[in-house]
Amino acid sequence: MRGLAVHTLVAIAAALAWAAAAVAAPPLRVGMELSYPPFEMTDPQGRPTGVSVRLAEAIGRHLGRDVVIENIAFDGLIPALKTGRIDCIISSMTATPERSRTIAFSAPYLKTGLALLVGAKSPVRSAADLDVPGRTVAVKKGTTGHQYASTTLTRARLLVLDKESAAVLEVVQGKADAFIYDSLSVYQNHKRHPDTTRPLLQPFREETWAVGLRLQDATLRQQVDAFLEAFRADGGFGRLGDEFLAEEKAFFAARGIPFYF
Amino acid sequence: MSRWLAHCIVVLVFVALIAAALTRIDSPWNWQGVWAYRAKFLQGFGVTLAVSAAALVASTVIGGTAALMLGSRHVLVEAVARVYVELIRGTPLLVQLLIGFYVVASAVGIQNRYVVGVLLLALFSGAYMAEIFRGGLAAIPQTQRDAARAIGLTPWQSLRLVILPQAVRLVLPAVAGQFVSLVKDSSLLSVIAVSEFTLAAQEVNSFTYSTLESYLPLAAGYLAITLPLSALSRWLERRFRYET
Amino acid sequence: MNLVMHGVVQRFGAVTVLDGVDLVTHDVEALVLVGPSGGGKSTLLRIVAGLDVPAAGRVSFDGEPLPRDEQGLRGYRRTVGTVFQAFNLFPHLSGLDNLLLPLVHVHGLTEAEARARVQGPLERFRLAEHAHKRPAELSGGQKQRIAILRALVVQPRRLFLDEPTSALDPEMTAEVLEMIGELKSQGIQFVLVTHEMGFARRVADEVAFIGEGRVLAHGPPGEVIDHCAEPRVRGFFSRILAES
Repeated sequence: MRGLAVHTLVAIAAALAWAAAAVAAPPLRVGMELSYPPFEMTDPQGRPTGVSVRLAEAIGRHLGRDVVIENIAFDGLIPALKTGRIDCIISSMTATPERSRTIAFSAPYLKTGLALLVGAKSPVRSAADLDVPGRTVAVKKGTTGHQYASTTLTRARLLVLDKESAAVLEVVQGKADAFIYDSLSVYQNHKRHPDTTRPLLQPFREETWAVGLRLQDATLRQQVDAFLEAFRADGGFGRLGDEFLAEEKAFFAARGIPFYF
Repeated sequence: MSRWLAHCIVVLVFVALIAAALTRIDSPWNWQGVWAYRAKFLQGFGVTLAVSAAALVASTVIGGTAALMLGSRHVLVEAVARVYVELIRGTPLLVQLLIGFYVVASAVGIQNRYVVGVLLLALFSGAYMAEIFRGGLAAIPQTQRDAARAIGLTPWQSLRLVILPQAVRLVLPAVAGQFVSLVKDSSLLSVIAVSEFTLAAQEVNSFTYSTLESYLPLAAGYLAITLPLSALSRWLERRFRYET
Repeated sequence: MNLVMHGVVQRFGAVTVLDGVDLVTHDVEALVLVGPSGGGKSTLLRIVAGLDVPAAGRVSFDGEPLPRDEQGLRGYRRTVGTVFQAFNLFPHLSGLDNLLLPLVHVHGLTEAEARARVQGPLERFRLAEHAHKRPAELSGGQKQRIAILRALVVQPRRLFLDEPTSALDPEMTAEVLEMIGELKSQGIQFVLVTHEMGFARRVADEVAFIGEGRVLAHGPPGEVIDHCAEPRVRGFFSRILAES
């Protein structure tokens, strides 16, 4: 009799504690497009991994919340955030004035820039060379490269592709003069296609990446900013760089191309 | 209640349900942002219209030819058509577009992505058309072919005067359905950077972050093409109907 | 007509339907083929009508052998007329257009000439006011009579009719048989396959009994139908005549 009563009480207490935990700290849903190594990618077993995933996990630990990674196409991330399907965007997203009109950004956590992956046979030497009739520029839909090309490179022919790999293929096959993307990806893609591409890694436009949040979500923004400051002070970014980007960091540093947390 | 009235009521109820769902979404409407890009929408609409029309014609020709080849007694001819139909119907259009444009067309040397896109779309739809036509041809009683032969028609005359007129009436609904599918499938050409209607809406969405305001006009635009197609098909069916 | 058939064999796959048919007629206007179902009469009719080529054997009419190649047979088919049990007429055309089609497209008449030629026969057989209707709007008897007319208006040397009344009810059967009787009195030559024994007795010059892939009896109608010595033939007639 007494044993049953004790067991019942324990069960109720556990349920209450679990409910309290659930109510108090719902999981943090983080949106990213898992096709951007080494920041957002999947390991051979299909689990999300990469710099942004580690960052998300660290934020989760800091806030005492579980982290759920939602794999969403890049140009669908902001709509997903706005409609409440995710709580934040950690997807190597550049904080631009246009985007800042509809969502909020945390303090920046990485500094990089737009660079060019040029076809080996193309005479292009700089971004300005692209703004000429007869030139073809490939961009990935929804990225800052896409924004830059459609507002600034008005004389060039614009190819808007879904996927980074398709855009690179356009350059490799000579269908496009250049692909506008961030300097790190340009470097990695050139390594994979050394004979058919030339990298112009010096950014012609500098950009910073930040965590995307809803405009009205001031609390979360403060928490994320606080986390980023602590994480940097703790050397967390240094560890991430060593784990995922050792070679690239060295390469870029040696050439004086900005790329750092 | 008249049929027209019933249709209107159902559409209104549907629109009301959508509107009710929309009012529950928090973010404010931004129609001005999207309106600023109306030229882009119109251009994309034009491309979709042109590409669909060209692919429609081409796929009918391809499908008709393949259907005749499927019925051929020459083993090699039938084999070519059968392999074509099974391959195309068994693989996704997306895969066909990517391999067709980035591998095959590049190897052959055709650079124009609009031409390649129309061709690939026509080949895709043609395989489904072939099966539709083949079913229509098979549904005609053998005695019709016998009667045509008995009065001394050549095989070509039989096809033209007896078999095809009957087969066309039989397959008209299915063909119209395939045409509508083709128009919608043309949106997939965006993966090879053809600037069609859907890509235009996606681009506007990525500039203005106004998803619904970008995609509702997109849906309306497609309906503007597909509804008349369906209506035309129904009119043709009524006009050429004969009892059997 | 003088029909000579010698050693005609026909097979479909592994099944032998005609197993050596020998038949000779001299100056016969109306030859009627009778016999059990599956015995081979329709198969034989298709061969003499030029629709199928026999696996073995020779067929000749009035001394002219039937061609064995499709093109030759097509030429032969243009000189004769064939009526099937059902689905003769092309359903997408009116009765009149059915009649005009062979005249215009096979025999090279202009449309005006063709219309002029069919007017008389249509009126004579009381089909003129039905000619504008589609087959679906005609009764079974009217359809078959127009089918016979279509075979007739090309001025064939002879007609082949394969159970033309088997799909009709008694009243329409009588209608069609009356027309065939009238043709006989106009001197049209024909080979008829039928189950209507009364009609066969009245109209046939000679009757041939086709059973088990062979000619089991051949001669004037009275001899074959009423007084045949061959037991299989006698058994067949006693069964079916007992029913009627």
